[in-house]
Amino acid sequence: MATAMARPCGEFETNYRGDQRVFPSRGSAFWVVGSIVILALLPLGLPALLGAGNVALGVIASSAVMIAALYVLKIYFGVTMGNVLAIAIPGAALFAMQPDGLTPYWTDQLILIGCYGVAALGLNILVGFTGQISLGHAAFFGFGAFASAYLSNNHGIPVVLSIPLAGAMTTLVGMIVGIPAARIKGLYLAIATLASQFILFDFFNRAEWFTGGSAGSLAESFTLFGWYLGSADRYIYVVLFWVVVMYLLATNLMRSRDGRALVALRDHYLSAEIMGINLTKYRVLSFGISSFYAGIGGALYGHYLGYVSVESFDILLSIQFLGMIIIGGLGSIAGSLMGTGFMLMLPEAMETVVSVAGSMGLADTTALITALAFLKEMAIGLAIVLFLIFEPDGLAHRWQLIKAYWKLYPFSY
Amino acid sequence: MKKVATLSAAIAMAVAGFTGVGFAGTANADTIKVGNIVDFTGRTAVVGKVYGQAKVDAMNWINANGGINGKMLEVDTVDYSYQVPRAIQAYKKWQSAGDYVAIQGWGTGDTEALVTFVAKDQIPYYSASYSGHLTDPQGKNPNTTKPAPYNFFYGPSYSDGVRGLIQWAAEDWKAKGGQGSPKYVHMGDNHPYPNAPKKSGEEYATELGFEVLPAIQYSLAPSDFKAQCLALKESGANYAFLANTSGSNISLMKSCDTVGVDVQFMANVWGYDENVMQAAGEAADGVVWVMGSAAWGADVPGMKKVEEISKLGDASVDYRAVHYMRGVCSVFFMAEAMKIADGMDGGVTGPNVKQAMYERQGWVPEGLEGVCLASSWTDADHRGTNKVFVYRGVTAGGANAMEEVFVAEIPRKAEWLGQ
Repeated sequence: MATAMARPCGEFETNYRGDQRVFPSRGSAFWVVGSIVILALLPLGLPALLGAGNVALGVIASSAVMIAALYVLKIYFGVTMGNVLAIAIPGAALFAMQPDGLTPYWTDQLILIGCYGVAALGLNILVGFTGQISLGHAAFFGFGAFASAYLSNNHGIPVVLSIPLAGAMTTLVGMIVGIPAARIKGLYLAIATLASQFILFDFFNRAEWFTGGSAGSLAESFTLFGWYLGSADRYIYVVLFWVVVMYLLATNLMRSRDGRALVALRDHYLSAEIMGINLTKYRVLSFGISSFYAGIGGALYGHYLGYVSVESFDILLSIQFLGMIIIGGLGSIAGSLMGTGFMLMLPEAMETVVSVAGSMGLADTTALITALAFLKEMAIGLAIVLFLIFEPDGLAHRWQLIKAYWKLYPFSY
Repeated sequence: MKKVATLSAAIAMAVAGFTGVGFAGTANADTIKVGNIVDFTGRTAVVGKVYGQAKVDAMNWINANGGINGKMLEVDTVDYSYQVPRAIQAYKKWQSAGDYVAIQGWGTGDTEALVTFVAKDQIPYYSASYSGHLTDPQGKNPNTTKPAPYNFFYGPSYSDGVRGLIQWAAEDWKAKGGQGSPKYVHMGDNHPYPNAPKKSGEEYATELGFEVLPAIQYSLAPSDFKAQCLALKESGANYAFLANTSGSNISLMKSCDTVGVDVQFMANVWGYDENVMQAAGEAADGVVWVMGSAAWGADVPGMKKVEEISKLGDASVDYRAVHYMRGVCSVFFMAEAMKIADGMDGGVTGPNVKQAMYERQGWVPEGLEGVCLASSWTDADHRGTNKVFVYRGVTAGGANAMEEVFVAEIPRKAEWLGQ
């Protein structure tokens, strides 16, 4: 397994403070916070608001707002102006391209990336950090979606609370399913988790009281103290909030005693056991944590769509989750989000290509639509194979290389 | 250098993506936007391709012949592979665009999932699902779970279809001189589409004196169904209702032929067609099913228009399966309503199209006389037609014929509304 990217167990910084950092450097902290600021500003449609009809003026005004915000961050984090520019220029370009706020299409895409990204991170904790394997992640994702819909529909629990509660319920289920992991590993564990995928899938199909059976169930819209946040342009902030919280939690976990135990388990379980790490506890715990993430992601997804139906949570989605973290980078927290973005944008990018080709009269549209569905699946398969060959450490590693290239420019050697 | 090139290519692609989508989203004021959900690649694709092609061809034909009073239909076709979430996503895209007037849909799962959404957003939804649950627009029947004010479909509901088949079966049992009460069994996947007529079928069978056996499950995806066929044989059923689509029924009929099951199959409107007769051969002999329109090449005045539409789609095709005609009818009922709505206050909008559907009673779209069944919708009853034509397929000895064996007129009972 390619884990050159992931920090191996027992590798430490030169001082304790370095080991306890959430972000590897002040620069990366600035980048993360800066990106969140831009993401939060984008859906507001500042250029149209500030420009009052004049798009160019609006873009300049909103870029100024953004740069001011980034400048405050720059002073706080003490980074160079180059960092500010590197993030402000693409930010300004995004403002120019989406002056009225994000188009519904991009809002939708970002929300989906957020929902799947949270779940993918959970799988990365299990696979990339703990070295276990799961082919049943989609079932936990689905369980979270159904549990949250069930809680809010049948027990009147507001959606705000039902999402974390669904996460907790999924944790329980995940830990039960993870029990075999205490005794088996490798391919055998893969098959055991595959069984849980099928069992849960069948459960969703039949448990009318819980999931509405094969017809699925409605999921209520998100409201906060009567304030409606169900529409996509508002819900994106709910998702953004959860993405930030869940990713910070994972980063924090990995610098803690428990997180290090997980990594030790991955790198050499025998040594870990000799050092006094309770293997069974941590293996099951890892399944629990991973399911918690899947549950939260699924619940967010369910309340976004407004309707939860069983067929989306099949084995294919489980494999897609694996594809996301392999492409993003096993054992990399940021990589989970990058891989998710890549996986979700790939078919859409292909669809754009095809629709442009169709509108220019290059091809017969009906035939193309038929071909497209297959092309989508093939493109995902091809992407995974190509990544395994050319970039086994995933997008996160590629990102490191790009950063290093610019940091050292023009003396990259 | 290579890295810079890759990076710039990636940025260029991202920019193209952003602007490309913006470009595709520009609207034209003189068009009527219609969303079109089709299944070309999913589990129901065998019939979905025929029906989806019909919808696309029919809407192209409308545009080639003056549109809706000069306004062109701007159709966005999405292949959702029979995945409910994908249909919902397509719907969300159209709904947030804000100017989609109507939607031509497909399956029961997605249509029933969208019922409350389209009612809230006031977008008439013409499904290829004829689920009885979609027929109660005001929720007058206390048993209706969700009123479906904006849902329309062309053809007898699945529930009325199975009632027609059971009426035929009761007559058939008498004619054959059967002793005692005949045994009825529902067969289908555990999925909204096959489940839709399950309860009404079993209830009506009990009412007509059938003994109802426990349902047998077989998947919508074609596979080997010998186990199910053995269970069917074991149960001693006389009449088995097949609620799946034709692809899966082909496998079932073949498997049952191998096992040697002697039972009268009765298929839903999507469960039997020319493909089944060809693929299953003698195993498909004698099966009865519900027909919802005239067959290709029938000697009726409207067939000429269907042939033109088919020619526009693909001139080399000289035969279309039965579902093609229903796709054409569904589009033309919508188009005629749009024409009427065009003369109303506010023009072609969702609520006006819905209102226009009620303007006439017992009507057939212009030029499709004899192809589409005369239908009536009212604001309290969305059972467009209650006539069920029962046909029988004859494939024994290499024959390839369909014959009408029974016509049932299902009463519009209040307690059956929305069921």
